[in-house]
Amino acid sequence: MITEIVGDVIRPILGGLSLTARRLRRDKATVMYPEEKRELPPRTRWRHVLARYENGLEKCIGCSLCAGACPARCIYVEAAENTDEERYSPGERYAKRYEINMIRCIFCGFCQEACPTGAIVLRKDFELANYHRDDFIYTKEMLLEPLAIAGEQ
Amino acid sequence: MGSAAEQKLVKITVNGTEVEVPEGELIVESVKRLGLEIPIFCYHPRMKPVGMCRMCLVEVGFKQADGSVRMMPKPQAGCTLPASENLVVVTDSESIHRDRKGVLEFLLANHPLDCPICDRGGECPLQNNTIFYGPSTSRFIEVKRHLPKAVPLSEYVTLDLERCIQCGRCVRFTEEISGDSQLAFRFRGAEMQPSTFELTDFTSKFSGNVIEVCPVGALTSSKYRFRSRPWDLETKASICTECGNGCNVWLDYRSGKLVRINGRTNELVNEEWTCDRGKFGQEYIDSPERLDRVLLRKADALHESSWPEAMDAIAARFVESGDSSAMLVGPRATNEDLYLAREIVTKTFGSRNLDHRWTKNLPNNPEATAVHSRIADFETARAILIFGNDLSDEQPILYLRVRKAWSQFNVPVVVISDRATSADAFAEAVVRYAPGEEVEILTSLSGMVRGGGGSEDLKRASEILRGGFLLAASSSVFNSASGEATAVALRDLCASAGTPDGYNLFALGANEQGARDLGILPTEGGKDTKRILEACASGEVKSLWLLHCDPFSLYHDRGLVERALENVEFLVVQDILATEATLFASAVLPSCSHAEYEGTYTNIERRVQRVPRILPPKGSARPPWQVFCDLRLAATGAMPFFGPSEVMEAIAKEHSQFAGVSYSGLAGEGCVLASADSALASAGIEGGGG
Repeated sequence: MITEIVGDVIRPILGGLSLTARRLRRDKATVMYPEEKRELPPRTRWRHVLARYENGLEKCIGCSLCAGACPARCIYVEAAENTDEERYSPGERYAKRYEINMIRCIFCGFCQEACPTGAIVLRKDFELANYHRDDFIYTKEMLLEPLAIAGEQ
Repeated sequence: MGSAAEQKLVKITVNGTEVEVPEGELIVESVKRLGLEIPIFCYHPRMKPVGMCRMCLVEVGFKQADGSVRMMPKPQAGCTLPASENLVVVTDSESIHRDRKGVLEFLLANHPLDCPICDRGGECPLQNNTIFYGPSTSRFIEVKRHLPKAVPLSEYVTLDLERCIQCGRCVRFTEEISGDSQLAFRFRGAEMQPSTFELTDFTSKFSGNVIEVCPVGALTSSKYRFRSRPWDLETKASICTECGNGCNVWLDYRSGKLVRINGRTNELVNEEWTCDRGKFGQEYIDSPERLDRVLLRKADALHESSWPEAMDAIAARFVESGDSSAMLVGPRATNEDLYLAREIVTKTFGSRNLDHRWTKNLPNNPEATAVHSRIADFETARAILIFGNDLSDEQPILYLRVRKAWSQFNVPVVVISDRATSADAFAEAVVRYAPGEEVEILTSLSGMVRGGGGSEDLKRASEILRGGFLLAASSSVFNSASGEATAVALRDLCASAGTPDGYNLFALGANEQGARDLGILPTEGGKDTKRILEACASGEVKSLWLLHCDPFSLYHDRGLVERALENVEFLVVQDILATEATLFASAVLPSCSHAEYEGTYTNIERRVQRVPRILPPKGSARPPWQVFCDLRLAATGAMPFFGPSEVMEAIAKEHSQFAGVSYSGLAGEGCVLASADSALASAGIEGGGG
C-alpha cells in the first residue's frame, strides 16, 4: 500500500518538482512587459515612419507609389509643389497629405519596397492599440520622424 | 471614308502571315489588322508620319518572282513605309528586338529618371515601351544632362525640357491639326527643344491636346500638376458642356473631386481632341461659389430653408400666378430637365411664357434654326462657308473638322465675317462686311451664285460656292440687328447654290439644340425672352423662374434685366453657381452640375448623348428634373418619374424626332435625331426606322 503510494504519487510529484527546480536555474523566457521590452528581430515590420534626410528634409516626394503597391488600399497621398520659400523635400514634389489607415494595413511592407526614396519604413513599434476608429488614421504629422531624432538611426 | 472601298488592295506578308491591306497604308497601321503592334513614339495616326524616333523599325523585304524573299540590308521605319504588293515585313526578329533596345537606350540616356514625380508616370508610352521592348538595366553611368524643368509655356501647359524625346508630336499638332503653328523646334541635334516663337506665351485655343499627344511627361498640364497619379484616379465617360459641340471626354476624379479632363475618341464628334475651354474650364464644379443650400427670402434677407418648405412656397406662388408666371432656361440643362420644365410651365402653372433664347433677335420661324449636316459631313463637303463670328471661338472642335476638311480633303473654305477670324488663314476667299451690311452682302452673293454679276471681292467666293456647300453659322447671327433677315438671306444663298440642305445654324449652348427640339419656346400667344423681361419690369409677370441661367451674363440689355429682376414679385433662381441674379432671388434652389446627375444632351448635329452621374451632388443640390417632378406631385398629384430614363421614354412618346430613343440605346456614340420632317415621313411611311 505505502510503496504503491510512494511509487505512483510522491515520486512523480518529486520528479516534476525537480524538473521545475532545474529549470529555475536557466534564463527566463518571459519579460515584464510593458515595463520591460524585448529587442525585436531586425526585419520586424510594424508601425510606419516617414523618414527624413540628415539635413531634416523629408524623404517622401508624394509619388503615391506606396498607395499603388498597397494591397489593402490603406494609403492616401496628396502631393503638392515645393517652392523656394516653403521647402519640404528636395526636388519639385512633396507629400502635402499622407495618411495610413492602420486598421486596414496588413503590414506587408510593400509600401516600403515600392518607395523610390526610402521614405516610408516599417519600424518596430508595435503598440498600436487605440480606443476610437478615427484614431487609427495616421496622418503625415504622426508618421513623420521628429526633427530632433532625425539622423540618429 | 467613302473612298476606302475603291482603294486597291495589296498582299503583304507580316511575320509569315499574308494579309490584304489598302495600297499605301502605313505598315505601322497594317500590322494592327493582325493584332500585332509596332512600338511608336513620334507616329500619331492623325498626323503625317515623320520617322523621327526610329522606334518603329521593322525588317523589310520583297517577294521575288521565283518565290524567294530579298531582304533589305537595313531595317526601315514602319511609320513611313507604305504597303505595296509583295512586301514582306518582320516585326519580331532577333535583330529588331536588338534595334528597339538600342533606340530606347539612346532615348533613355537623355531622359531623367524622375518617373516617381512625373505626372505622366503610370500612363507613359516611354515607360511602357521600355518595359516591353527596352533593356532591363541601364549601362549609363555618366552624368545626366540638365535642362530647365517646369517651364510654364502658358497658363495651362508646363514644359519639362529634360524629359523631351524630340518626337515632334506637339510641333506637328500645332502645325497640322490646330493650324496655329505656335510650337516649333529650336536648335539642332541633341540640343533640339520644342518652344514657342521667341518664347512668347503658348496661346493656342487647343493647347491642352499637346499634353495628351506628348508620349512622355515633357508637356504636362499646369492645372493637373502633382494633383494625382493615374492609379489613384477613377474615370468615367462623359461629355463636355462648355459649348454645343458635345465633345466626348473622360472625367477623371479622385475622392469625389474632378481632377482632370481628357479627350475621349468619338470619330463622329470630336475625333480625340478637346479645346482648352472644355479641358480646363470645368473648375466651376468644385468652385466655392457653388450653391449648396436652399434659401428662402424672409423679411428682406435670404435664410436657409428646406426643400419641402421651399417647394410649398414656390408651388403656391406659381400656380396662383398662372399665365402671369414665366420661366427662362439657360444652355446647361438636360433634355429631361427641359421636357419637364415645359410640362410644368404649360400644364401645372398654365402659363405660355417660356423661352431658352438669349440673343438680341428672337426668330419666330423654326426653319431659321434648322441644322441639316453632321459634323463629319464637313470632311466630304464640296465647299464650306463659315459665316459670322470666329468659328474657332464658338465651336472650336467643329473648326478643327473644317480645317481637317481643308488640309486633308482639299475642301475649299469661304469665310464671310465682320472681323478677322482664325479660318482666314486657310480660306480660299474671305469676305468682310461692316456690321449691319450682312444681308446686303449675302443677297448680292446669292445673285452672283445664280449667275449674275457683282463686285470683285465676292467673285471668288461665288465661284467656290456655286456648286453647293455646307454652311457653318451659329445662333449668334441673331445678335445682329438684322438677325432674322440674315438667316433668310443665308437660306436663300444655300438654295441658290443648289444645296438647301447645306443650311446649318448651329446652337451655341451645351443643350441649346435640345431646347430647340423640345420646344422650349413661348406657346401660342406667349411671351419670348425680351417680352418676359419687359413684363417682369412692368409687373405684368408676377413670378419668374430662372433655370440654370444668369440673365445678367446672357442677355445684352443689363438695364432691362435689372429692372425685371427688381420688379418681379417672386423670383426663383435654380442654378449651379451663385450669380448676380441670386441677389434678387426670393427662393434659391441649388442645382447639380452636369457631372452630378444623369441625363442626356443634344449637340449641334442633333446627336443625343448620355451623361452618367459621376460626382456626388454638392450639399443639398438636386437635379432640376427631380425638382420639377416633386413640384408636379405637390401641385397636381401627378405620378413622378423615378429616373431620367423614364423621362426619356415620355419624351420619345411625345416628340416624333425622339422616336426610338431610349437610355439603353444611347451608350457609346449616342444617337442622331431624325430631322423634324423626315421623322414625320418615316412615322407615316415606314413606321419609324432605327
